[in-house]
Amino acid sequence: MSHIHIPDGVLPWWLVGAGWVLALALVWYASRRARASEVRRKVPLLGVVAALVLVAMSTEIVPIAYHVNLTVVAGVLLGPWLGAIAAFIVVVMLALLGHGGITVIGLNTLMIATEMALGWALFRLMVRLLGRARVRWAAAIATVLTLAVTTTLLVGLVALGGGGAATGRETGALDPNSLTFANPFSSGVVSVNTLRGAEPAPATPEAPLSLGRFALVVYTLGPIGWLIEALITASILGYAMRVRPQLVLGGTLVVPLRGPVGDEGWH
Amino acid sequence: MDVRAIDLSATSGRSRLHGASATAKLTALALVLAGVVLQQNVLIVAACGLLLAALAVGSRLPLRAVFGLAAYPGIFAVVFALAAAPDLLTGALFVARAVTAALGAIVLVFVTPYPQVFAPLQKVLPEVVGDAMLMTYRSLFLLADKFEHLRLAIRLRSGLSHGQPVRAARASASALGSLVLYALDLSQREYDVLRLRGYEGGLRISRRASASRPFDAALVLAAASLFAVALVFRLAGATLTPYSWLPAALAASVLLVTSAWRLVPR
Repeated sequence: MSHIHIPDGVLPWWLVGAGWVLALALVWYASRRARASEVRRKVPLLGVVAALVLVAMSTEIVPIAYHVNLTVVAGVLLGPWLGAIAAFIVVVMLALLGHGGITVIGLNTLMIATEMALGWALFRLMVRLLGRARVRWAAAIATVLTLAVTTTLLVGLVALGGGGAATGRETGALDPNSLTFANPFSSGVVSVNTLRGAEPAPATPEAPLSLGRFALVVYTLGPIGWLIEALITASILGYAMRVRPQLVLGGTLVVPLRGPVGDEGWH
Repeated sequence: MDVRAIDLSATSGRSRLHGASATAKLTALALVLAGVVLQQNVLIVAACGLLLAALAVGSRLPLRAVFGLAAYPGIFAVVFALAAAPDLLTGALFVARAVTAALGAIVLVFVTPYPQVFAPLQKVLPEVVGDAMLMTYRSLFLLADKFEHLRLAIRLRSGLSHGQPVRAARASASALGSLVLYALDLSQREYDVLRLRGYEGGLRISRRASASRPFDAALVLAAASLFAVALVFRLAGATLTPYSWLPAALAASVLLVTSAWRLVPR
C-alpha cells in the first residue's frame, strides 16, 4: 500500500498538517544529506528514478485500481535519503495528475519514503542472510514485509483520523436511522457528517469511518498486491543483479555508467 | 497517463485560462480545494465540480483525457467509500470530493506547463529538490514512451507464448528490468549533458508573464467567491442546507451554457 488512496477532506486537519510538517522536515534534512556528496550526479538519478516510479504508479494493471509501485526498487537504487526526496517529487506530480490527493501530499510522502527506506534496509538484511545468489528471494521477502508494514501504517492513520467508534454505524447505508439513505433530496437534507466536529445530523450525531471494514478490505485486497509487487520487484532486481550487480548491491550509482550512444531522442 | 497530451494542451492552448499566470492559477486551485475539503454538503461539492467542468469545457481542453484522469481517483474513492464510509451519502461525498479535487488539479496541469507550476515551488524548496523535479518532468516523457513500446512488446511476446502465463510473466519482468536499466543509463546521459552545460546546481525556470492581469484577478476572485460560498454553507449548514440545490443548479446552468458555446465553431 504505497500511498494513501484516501480522498481529500477525509482525514482531520491536525493529521494532514502534521503530515505536511514532518514531510517537509524530512525532505529538507534529506536534501542536506544529499548535498554532502556530489549533487550533480544525484539530480539526474533522482529525476529518472522518480519518473520510473511515476510511470509505474500511474499505470493500472488490473481493473481493481491496482498499480505497480516499484518503491522497493527505487529504495534499493537510491537509498533512504535520496528516496525521501524522490518520494516527495513523485507524490507532488501524482497529486497534480489527480492521483493521491493534494492535502495528503505530506502523509503520502512519509508513507512512500518509509516504504523506500524500509525496502532498502530489509533488502540489504535479506541479502546478508540469504547470500548474493538469492537476490530474488531477498527482494520478494523484503517487498512483502515492507508492504505489510506500510499497509498497517495506513490502517493506523485511518484509525488516528476518526475510525475509532465505527461500530455504531456498521450497517452503513442500510442503517434505518439514517435519513440519508432513502432519497435524501426529498427533504432537502443533504448535509452529512463525515468526521468529528461536524454539525450534528438529526439521527446520528457522529458518522465516523468504519475502521473494521476498512481494515478488512485493505488486508484482503492488500496481499494480492503485495504478491504481484514482490514478483515484479524480485524479477527486476534479479535481472539487474545479473547484468549490473553494482547497481543492486551498491545502493546508488557507485560506478559511473557508460551506456551506448542512445537513439531515444532528446527533447 | 498520456503526458504528451497534457503537455501539448498546456503549451499550445490559446484560451484565456492558458494565458493566466501560474501563480494566479495555483492560488485559485488552493481556494477551490479548500472549499471542497471543508464542505460537507454533497451538492455544494458537486457545484464546484460542475464549475470546474465548465472551465475545462470553456478552455477547450481535451475532455476525454481530462475527465478520464479525474475519474481515476474516483475509482479509489469508491473503494475507500465501500470500505470505510458509514452510509451511502457519506460515500457519495467522498467520491465527489475526490473527483472534484482531482479535476481542479488536472485542469491546472492541462492549462499550465509543468515547469511553470514548479517555478513557484522552486522558491520554497531546497535546490536539489527543485532541480530533481525538472529532471523528473524531462525523464517522464522518455520513460512513458519507452513503457508504451514495452507494453506493446509484452503483448506480442505473450501472443507468441499463448497458454504459457509463466513464460509471459518472465518476459514482462525482463522487460521491466530493461526499463530500469534504460532509466539508469538515461540518468548517466543526462548527467553528461548537465556536466557539459556547466551545471553546478540551481536550474532556473523563466516564468511566463501573464497575458491579462485583470483576468488573473477575476480568476482569483471567482475562486475566492467559491470558497466563501463553501465556507458560508459550512458554517450555517443547518439553515442553508434546504437551499443547497441553488448553487448546484446555477453551476449546472453554467456548464450547459459553456457546452453550447463550445459547440459554436471558432
